[in-house]
Parts: sequence; C-alpha cells; structure tokens
Amino acid sequence: MTTQPQSKPATPSSYTVPIIHADGINMIYDGRGGQTVALQDANLEIHEGEFVSLIGPSGCGKTTLLRLIANLIQPTSGTLTVTGKSAREARLAREYGYVFQAPALYDWRSVIKNVMLPLEIMGYKRGERRERAAKLLEMVGLEDFHKTYPWQLSGGMQQRVSIARALAFDPRILLMDEPFGALDEITREAMQAELLNIWQATGKTVVFVTHSIPEAVFLSSKVVVMSPRPGKIEELIDIDLPYPRDVDTRESEAFFHMATKVREALRGVH
Amino acid sequence: MQKVRAQWPLLATLMILFGLGYPLALLFGLPLARRDMQDLRKWTRASFSAASPDTLADEPVQGLSFGATPERGILIFDGAPVEVDYNIEGNEVRLEQPLSPSDIARDTINLIALGDGIYSIPDNLNQDISLQPTIYIDGSLVHPGSVETNEVPDGQRTTFTFDHPDTSTIGRLVVDDQVVDDYDIITVSEAQTEVMLAEPPAFGSSLQAIQDDYMWLNETQLVFNTSPAETASVQAIPSVMRLAEQLQGEVDGSNQVFNLARGNVLEQASTRRLFVGSRQLDGDDERPDERVDGETSAFTFASDTGLISLDGVLLTALTDFTRDGNVITLLTTPARNARLRQHPDYLLTNPSTGQITLAQPPTEPVWTNEYSYYAEPSCGNTVLTCFFALPQHPVPFPHWIIRRAPGFVQKFPVSDERNVLRAVLYTSTGTLVSLALGGLLGTLLAVVFVLVRPLEQAVLPWVIASQTVPIIALVPVLLLVLGNLGITIQTSLLPTALIGAYITFFPVTVGTVKGLRSVDPLALDLMTSYAASPVDVFLKLRFPAAVPFFFTSLKLGAAAALVGALVAETESNNARGLGFQILGQVQSGNVADVWLLLLTSGLLGIILVNLVGLIERLVAPWLGARS
Repeated sequence: MTTQPQSKPATPSSYTVPIIHADGINMIYDGRGGQTVALQDANLEIHEGEFVSLIGPSGCGKTTLLRLIANLIQPTSGTLTVTGKSAREARLAREYGYVFQAPALYDWRSVIKNVMLPLEIMGYKRGERRERAAKLLEMVGLEDFHKTYPWQLSGGMQQRVSIARALAFDPRILLMDEPFGALDEITREAMQAELLNIWQATGKTVVFVTHSIPEAVFLSSKVVVMSPRPGKIEELIDIDLPYPRDVDTRESEAFFHMATKVREALRGVH
Repeated sequence: MQKVRAQWPLLATLMILFGLGYPLALLFGLPLARRDMQDLRKWTRASFSAASPDTLADEPVQGLSFGATPERGILIFDGAPVEVDYNIEGNEVRLEQPLSPSDIARDTINLIALGDGIYSIPDNLNQDISLQPTIYIDGSLVHPGSVETNEVPDGQRTTFTFDHPDTSTIGRLVVDDQVVDDYDIITVSEAQTEVMLAEPPAFGSSLQAIQDDYMWLNETQLVFNTSPAETASVQAIPSVMRLAEQLQGEVDGSNQVFNLARGNVLEQASTRRLFVGSRQLDGDDERPDERVDGETSAFTFASDTGLISLDGVLLTALTDFTRDGNVITLLTTPARNARLRQHPDYLLTNPSTGQITLAQPPTEPVWTNEYSYYAEPSCGNTVLTCFFALPQHPVPFPHWIIRRAPGFVQKFPVSDERNVLRAVLYTSTGTLVSLALGGLLGTLLAVVFVLVRPLEQAVLPWVIASQTVPIIALVPVLLLVLGNLGITIQTSLLPTALIGAYITFFPVTVGTVKGLRSVDPLALDLMTSYAASPVDVFLKLRFPAAVPFFFTSLKLGAAAALVGALVAETESNNARGLGFQILGQVQSGNVADVWLLLLTSGLLGIILVNLVGLIERLVAPWLGARS
C-alpha cells in the first residue's frame, strides 16, 4: 500500500508472472433445454497491478469468468491459477475482494460494521478492525457516515461502502462485477475517478466487468473484449492512455481513438 | 397532529365498534324487554279494596266522600248493598235521603294509646273483630300502608333499601312487631331510600317501613307514622259503609257471566271476595272423590250443585256431562291426571278479562270488596323502559361498559388475587413466558431444519399435525400429566406457559425457517468470497436476516398464545388468571363485566403484540425507521 504507482508503465507486458492465469477454461451449464456454453476455451493472463476490464454484450460470460476467478463457481474444464494457487486455494487465502453488481450490504449493520464484516470473519483484532474500516471509509469519502445504516445512503454511497468493504482486508486482487451499472451517469463518472484514485493509491490488480465502452477505456490498462453464444474472449486491447486520467482524458482524441477501437472490436463480434 | 393522523384508522375503527354497540344492544335487548313486558309474573300486583268514607259525621248526612271510586260503585253496609237510593258522581255519593251516623258507621271502638304512636284495640273487643277495621282520627279516615325492605335480614346486614313512589319517602321502620327508631338514612334517590340500622335485624325477621298513615303491628296493635295529638280521638270501626265495585252483567235471572272492572286478575281464589247480595261466594273448588285415572268417567263431589271445569275449562251441562245429584258423568272420559273440579259458587273463567261465571244466575247485584290483579309490567309500560330496566343486557350499551370500568377494577382490592389488574398481570406473565419458550423452541427447530434438510421433511408434517390438535382437548391431557407429576395445576403458571409455548413454536418455526432461507444470494456469495465458516454464515448472515421473520411470526404467536393461556387457565381452574375470571363472570351472568373482560383480553392481546414489536425494535434497530 505504500508504493505509489504514479509512473505505472502503460504496457503491462513488462510484467512476467501473471497473477491470474486462465488456461483453456470451459464453463458449461446443464439446463432444462440442454447445455449452455457460458464460456469456451478462455485463455487470459492478468499481471499484478493491471486494471483489466472484461467487456461484451450480455451473455458473453464476463460475469461467469469473474465468478470463476473468485471460485464462486467451478469451471467444467481448464485450469485457473490465481496468485500462483488454484482458485479455491486463493479464495481460502482471501486473495481477492469482490464487489458485486448490487452493493450487497447487510441491512442490520451500520456502514462501518459492514466494512468491518470481512475483518471480523478473518479474525482481525478489534482495534485494527476499526482503524482499517475508518481509514477506508475516509478513502471513499464516507468518514461522516460510520453509524449510518445502508438504507439511509444513496446508491452511489452504498457502492462506495461495498468497495471499502472489498478493500478492508487488503486483498491483492479486486474483482468488480459491473459495480456502477445501477448508477446515474454523473455519479458513475465520479465513482470511476474515485476508483482510479484508489487503484493508483493501492496498486491492486483489478478485474472489472462492464458493458460500457467509455468506462472500460477510461479505467483500464487492458480491455478484454468478449463475445456471446458461446462466451469467448475475442480480443485484448491495451489502453495506452497515460495515468493519472481525469476529465480531460475523456475529452482527448486518444480516448476517442481507443473507444473506437474497442467499439469496432465489439462490432466485430456481432 | 401528525401523530393523531397516523392513528386515525385505529380511532375510526374504535368509533365504528363503539357505534355498532348501540344497535346491537337494542337488537339483542328488545326481544328480552318485550318478553319481560308480556310476562305477567313480572308485573306489579295491585288490589282493589272497597273504600271507606273520608270523614264521619255526628249528624245525619246526605253526601259522602270516598278516597277512591270504583268503576261501578255500589254502597255496602254490613256486608250487603244498602237499601237507599243514591247517585255516584266522581268520588262523591249523593244520598236521596239523609242517613243517620249509625247507618254509616257502627261499633265504634276507641283505641288505647300505648305511647310512641302505638295504639291498641281493647282486649275485651278482640273477638268481635273479624275484619281489620277502618281507622279514623277525629272522624277523618287514615290509610294503612307499609313497604317491605328489598333485602333479606340475615342477622348481619345493617343497610337496607326500600322502594317507594318517587313523590314520597319512607316512614318509621318496624322489625317484626317492634318499632325501630335507631337508624340513619344514607341516601334518598328517586324511588328508593337506603337506611342503616344501628342494630342488624335478626335472621328471618321482617323489616318494614310505614308508607301511608299507619300500619298494623299485629291483630290488635297499630303504629302511626306521626303520632296523633294526645287529645285526638282515635277510633277503629269494623262496620262502616263502603263503596264497593259492582260486577258488570245483567241481573235478569238467567245471566251467569259477569265481569270485574279490571283484567289480569290473580287466579288464586283467596285474593278475591265476591258477593251476591249479602252472601259471600265461595271461591274454593271441590276435588272428586275418585282419581282421574284415564278410565273413570263418573265422579263424586261433596256438593250437588256447581260448575264443572276440566283443566280450567268450563264444561257445559248435558253436552259435556250429566249430573245425578253429586255424581257427575262425563261424556268423554278425562285424560289421566286431568284437573277435574267442581266450583260450588263461581269460576274465574277468563283471568285476563276478569270474567267470572256464577254457578247460579243471581237475582241480586254481584259485587266485590276486594280482589287482586296484575297492574302493569314492573319494568314500565313501553318496550324501551323495559329495555332499560333489564337486569342484564346481553349486549350492554358501550358507554355502560365504560362507566362500569372503574367499579370493575375496584371490585376487589389490589391485594386480592381476584383483582382484574392482577389477573391481567398474571396472564401476561404466563403468556410472555410461553412466548419465550415457544420462541426458543421454534428457533431451535428452524435452525435444525435449515441445517439438516432431510430432518425438516421428516419432522415438519408432525409439527403441522401438532397444531391441528384442538387446544381444548390437549389442555386436559396436559393438566392430567402435570397433575400426576405432583404439580398443583390450580396455582401453577406451568400449564399456561406450556400451552402458550406449544401454540407459539409453530409460527416461529415456519417463519424463522423462511427467514433463515431468505438470505440474498449475493450476501451468501460475499460470505463465500471471505471463505467464512458455517458458524459465521449463521451468526452474521442468516440469523440477522431471519430476525424480521422471527418477530413477525412471534407476533402471530403472541395473539394465539394468549388464547391458549386463557384456555389453560380456565381448564386448570387457576383463579389467578384472566381466563378463569371470564368463565366466572359468564357463569354469574354479569354481562357488563364479561364485556369488560373481553375488552381487557383484547387490549391485552394488542399490548402483547406491541410489546413483541418493541422488543423487535430494540433487538433490530435497523428495521425500526424503515417503514
């Protein structure tokens, strides 16, 4: 957390050992109407410190891939290593924090207690729990809402609590499944900026599922374009826009160029 | 204001219920009132008596004034209609020729003053007086009258009430034949006076109050309400001219049917004194010598004349029976145990119209100087007054119930177990204990069911079956078991608690199972992502998520547990509980109290459910402000 990756290289290929490595992953669901191939032969390498977005239309398997990495589901075939371990071992080692589409906060816990939840489960001492939670709430700008219950917060604030919670136990990887999908455009852009700040401040590896092209381009160092039926990884696009990125980045020509590139890649999949 | 607005549905419901009470009270009460009004046994009785002249004179008089006038007046002297001609106008009788004082009153007896308003008839004249004589003070008529107390002297009671017309009050008190002066008047209301005696009247004694001028203490002594002046002449006159009532009907030598002026005449012959001319008619009837056994048709009576009645219905000679001296042969054999009577002089053939049939057609006027009749319904003359006079209303007016409330609470002191507040407290304690037990058991079962799904499939049908067993049947069995275990069920809180728990655990189990399973899949995924232990998943996720479900079902359970508690208290004869009180009041027929107890238990239900809600808010503050 002390390293400030301000001068992060734009080319992630300089990293050698991938922190997440998917090799020939297949995910097939047995349904009533026969088998559904959610993911076919997915190969992916993500290196430490990267911000990788998975983008694609509905049904392309991007959430499935994220849940596979998180070991919330198991692949039908293929190997998946996370931080050099199997996905299950990585989960048991609490290597990642997961941010869901919905904030999934516990109604009966105040904001700070929600952030402290993973720390309680993981056996942190009381003092440290409070200290870490308070620090993270400050980071997401909710230092004045410790005692507030989730339902008293706006959607954006709830999602920020959820991000703080995912970061609470300082995992190496942050898995985010369309975390800003339900937010309005203005809040969403503010949250994106905030997420970039956090990423840059912490140096986490982020895997981010989205179906918004500007969001993927603005945030990511690499965009994984996926296609549906069956879910497949089509193309990897490096986003070589310099960090830190801000409002000006969104209006730059390079941004439009990258967005167009991603859009064309997506169009190709249709 | 905001608060009032939030409560308006409750207030509106209360007002509708309150308003509904009135038509319901009338709907259920008016038929009872009508029945009371039509039931002759519930009518006040009154007697007609021949009136005596208001004043006596020393000189011959031509006009006489009587206190009351019968409908068809007839002047009687010495038990026979007088021979002189007269006109009756109102209560004034105008004689065609003056009568001497001795033709109006004879046998004047001067009474002996014994002091304190008590007077006595001289002993030597005792034998001659067959009729209670008329009393005059200085030649002016005074009226007898007394009223019996409403309560029965039991040797202990000292407060008594007397009813009287609302215009009057009571006079001196008499216990048996002794005048009692040592008493205080406590209250005087419209038609009732309450007194407290210094000494309680003896058990079985008769306590009376003088209501008119005097009353008879015994056959020879009388007491005045206000003592006459020492110089006054107090006279008893057994033989005085009276204004009697002549029965309506033609005296033509063939008519046998006559009518009293009033209907609803008392059936007992002893309450009537009828005369034809100077002969008093015998109202008694004769029984046949033979048993009416359903086979005999010829019967022998004591006398050889008279009317024959069968079960109160007059029989007609020749068409119904033939007579041979004192032997009557009925043409149709009377049914076994039918009431066959011979009436030597007359029969009251229609009590409701006052119709009398004489055995012989009279040739002289038929008159009466005394008979009793039902005057009017004691509850009043309209259905509405009878409704208000009902001793118990099946549905009382709501404001009566409210008015009764303070008295009901104070019926027993708080130190007494039967005090309703204590009963409420006792029953609530039982119900709360049962809720705690039921809640605990329900939660345990729910956890087991969620953890071990096959167990749920195996046990849940039995749990459901347990709830279909009627409580009313289960309670006696439980009481028997507890009794065999050596527990005094009449004073134990255990039956209440166990039955309540038995009722409560079911909704709690079902609700909590649902609650434990109601967890958001994402929230579960979150736990998985933390590699949380099953214990943590239960403690930090499933339990808190189930809390609202638990409390909702506990609220359902609270209402049902209260019913269970009341049933258990009733069946275990636990006098300390509300259930027993309800039963006791129902049996004693105290309707307003029953309604109060119903309202109380309803209110208790609301309070208990709200109490569970309050605990919920304390345990789960995150739910409180959400709605």
